Amino acid sequence: MSDHAIEDVHHGAHVHETGDHEHPQASVYILVAVVLIVLTAMEIGVFYAPFLQVVLVPLLVILAILKFILVAMFYMHLKYDNLTFSVLFVFPLLLAALIVTSLMLLFVYLGRHSAGGIL
Amino acid sequence: MAAQPKPLHIEQANYLEGGGIYGWITTIDHKRVAIFYGVTALVFMMVGGLEAMLIRAQLIVPNNTLLSADFYNQIFTMHGLTMIFLVIMPLETGFFGNFLIPLHIGARDVAFPRLNALSYWIFLFGAISLNLGWLFGQAPNGGWFGYANLTERYYAPGLNIDFYDIGLLVLGVSSVMSGLNFFVTIVNMRAPGMTFMRMPMFIWAILVTVILVLLAFPAITVGLIFLFADRYFDAHFYRVIAGATPMLWQHLFWIFGHPEVYIMALPAFGLISEVIPVFSRKPLFGYPMMAYSIILIAFLSYGVWGHHMFATGMGPVADSAFSITSMLIAIPTGVKIFSWIATVWGGRLRFTTAMLFALGFILEFTIGGLSGVMHASAPIDLEQTDTYIVVAHFHYVLFGGVLMGILAGFYYYFPKVSGRLMNETLGKWHFWITAWAFNATFFPMHFLGEWGMPRRIYTYAPDMGWNFWNKFESINAFILGIGFLFFFVNIAWSWLHGEPASADPWDARTLEWSIPSPPPVYNFVNVPTVTSRDAFWVEKYGDVEASGLEGEGRTYIPEPVNEEVISKIHIPAPSLYPILIAFGIMMMGTGMLIEWYRVVLLGAGLLVFGAVSMSFEYINWGEDNEHQIHESFLGLDNRKLGLWSFIGSECVFFASLISTYMVYKSRNLGGPDADILNIPLTSFSTFILLMSSLLMVLALAGYQRNDKFWGTFWLLGTAFFGLIFLGGQVYEFTDFYMAGMHYNTNLFSQCFYTLVGFHGFHVLIGVTWLLVLAVAGIMGKIDSKRAIAVEVCGLYWHFVDIVWVVIFTLIYLMRTVKHA
Repeated sequence: MSDHAIEDVHHGAHVHETGDHEHPQASVYILVAVVLIVLTAMEIGVFYAPFLQVVLVPLLVILAILKFILVAMFYMHLKYDNLTFSVLFVFPLLLAALIVTSLMLLFVYLGRHSAGGIL
Repeated sequence: MAAQPKPLHIEQANYLEGGGIYGWITTIDHKRVAIFYGVTALVFMMVGGLEAMLIRAQLIVPNNTLLSADFYNQIFTMHGLTMIFLVIMPLETGFFGNFLIPLHIGARDVAFPRLNALSYWIFLFGAISLNLGWLFGQAPNGGWFGYANLTERYYAPGLNIDFYDIGLLVLGVSSVMSGLNFFVTIVNMRAPGMTFMRMPMFIWAILVTVILVLLAFPAITVGLIFLFADRYFDAHFYRVIAGATPMLWQHLFWIFGHPEVYIMALPAFGLISEVIPVFSRKPLFGYPMMAYSIILIAFLSYGVWGHHMFATGMGPVADSAFSITSMLIAIPTGVKIFSWIATVWGGRLRFTTAMLFALGFILEFTIGGLSGVMHASAPIDLEQTDTYIVVAHFHYVLFGGVLMGILAGFYYYFPKVSGRLMNETLGKWHFWITAWAFNATFFPMHFLGEWGMPRRIYTYAPDMGWNFWNKFESINAFILGIGFLFFFVNIAWSWLHGEPASADPWDARTLEWSIPSPPPVYNFVNVPTVTSRDAFWVEKYGDVEASGLEGEGRTYIPEPVNEEVISKIHIPAPSLYPILIAFGIMMMGTGMLIEWYRVVLLGAGLLVFGAVSMSFEYINWGEDNEHQIHESFLGLDNRKLGLWSFIGSECVFFASLISTYMVYKSRNLGGPDADILNIPLTSFSTFILLMSSLLMVLALAGYQRNDKFWGTFWLLGTAFFGLIFLGGQVYEFTDFYMAGMHYNTNLFSQCFYTLVGFHGFHVLIGVTWLLVLAVAGIMGKIDSKRAIAVEVCGLYWHFVDIVWVVIFTLIYLMRTVKHA
């Protein structure tokens, strides 16, 4: 290929970043594990505490999301790795959430208003 | 006469030569795999065409007794399945995708060549499984969308639906593997300088298509698993009598089914986007909008599935929402059609066969698209559902549109694939017969549909007013078949006796035309550097607008062959394991069908043996990792990128399972429900799994600092914790079983066992993977340079962990919450 081609490549996105960014020390992993244990203990506590039953769903959802994020960010290294991996995870995750929400809406709410409620 | 570069003369064999039969069977070269896909799909095109002829022969006169009603059901079902899964998809992604992706992006092969071969062999055996029913006189007979609950054992006692179920499951595995492979290849293996906005439009189309494949197939996989459970384990996923609803199948099917339409359409869009600029001698008009339109079409395609279900009574809100999204999708499609027309406009046209089919595509696809917009309106659709107008619509989209696009691509790329030009005279006969006969066959179906002729009826009374047009359609369908005889004769004749093709017979624009026809095994002597869109055109003529350049450009002189450079090119070794694994899968599927469980076990053994052997052969424990990362476009490890893509696909798989659990939870008609769940035991299991994730990252950290002892120690610890978790699950399931909660006891039990069981299955795969790595660690095969093997396994393990975080919360801790 021509010389100008070789020069022009630098205007492209051919970036030789390493995919292996610096991962955290073991101490960070252990700290995350401790937080995960605490959050799980809180989840179980919320489940058994009678006075928290009215806010059971939002509390459990928040705690689960926190655990989810901690594992994804630190153990799966999304916090440290190339942004591409985060995009690859978050987009399907949103689609998955959309599928769950849509089916719940279609079957549970809209189904009641459909012909004969057969759905 | 266009500027004709001289063909390259090199000593090295092209990809078609050498190796003998064993070399072909064990090949992992993307071009040979493409040939496999192409030949298989063409054989099935003949089969599907023959099935179409039989349909039309039956309908040529009223009250015809040529075919029985049951055989007719099998024929039209298999015609649809064959054309969609065994012809269009394998031709587009299997043949064109495999052959062109590395050549278009300037790569030597796909990211995972062995996985690529495995995808083909699984596809082949899946295709055979789907067609095995013919031997028993029990081919699938429930239509390509196999609506529940007519597919339940009670209504369909034969093996027909079992062949459908298992065949599609196997084909789905192949599609997802290919999708993952092509995604990583396109994202990470582009030549230097080939940014997203410099990619050929075909690559854009395939990239978005494989994203659709990865995110759409899991939904139907779940639906098929439920169907399998209903038929083999007497479950009730689609049985109203147990509180379930057959609508679940329709939703799961069409969540896959409508993106599937674009899985078929987008590659054809891509192919004609390559053909039209070359034969118009103009760059593609509106390239950025074309690319954005593909993305928008794909995005919207996930929100339109309900327009296939207007007649099911979803209610006005849902109908309105799906109507709006379905109409919206016409906008980006219209952008593409106008861009193709604008590309042709003012161009110096060459009416080759490829160009004729590409222009035919624009016309016929537009007609099919317009009737599609009509169906987006719920009230109109209600009238037209299940009439011949729907048959007319999707044949205009899939035959007039997609297949013509494929044929355009076929005539265009045949010289590159075979090294010979196709005969243009035979090609033009093929085109004009097809253009006439296609329209004469399918356009009158609009009228028949409006006059009330239902689709899928095997005969009709003589006084319905449908006689003339049915006879007219049938005669023209046979003429259409004759047109395709020209095509097949042309392929055979041209392959053997066609005029030898130069590297660039069409004066084309993209990189693949810069290398010899047929290409050498290694594709490019030196990986090209890309400076613009239409990289090869710019290389030949400079960065100028192309129109009017015919004959004025400088002759392109290909790079001289450098023996020393070629001798250093690394070509992966052939492998027998892909075909062994695929054969094992077929044995398992067939064994299940005929309930010969020794065959299932033997197949499973072959699968495990092949998979473990290939993993040792394949991953090379990351030996060439640094080199691969350095060479890649994004500077990322292919395996890591592949695993993340797989995780994305798995998100949709588990979302479909979780949705079903949530929807069915409160439909339970008695018997055990979520109250039976053992929270203390599962809490303990949750702690164990979370801690296994800690051990996993410690293992990785150990290997990364080259501490092999602790790396292996923590790896074994992770596997041990995984086994404890599995032990807890076995205990829990046994406990429930003893308490009378069997798999098919009620909706709750089947949803619970399926969801939690599949998670457990993932844990089991993870434990097996960990143990294989641990053995490799003990053998000293893993060190700091090869720690990527552990990291990839770790990503999978952590994903399994976070899926459990969701399951533990939604299924266990929210057990008392009623969703409906």
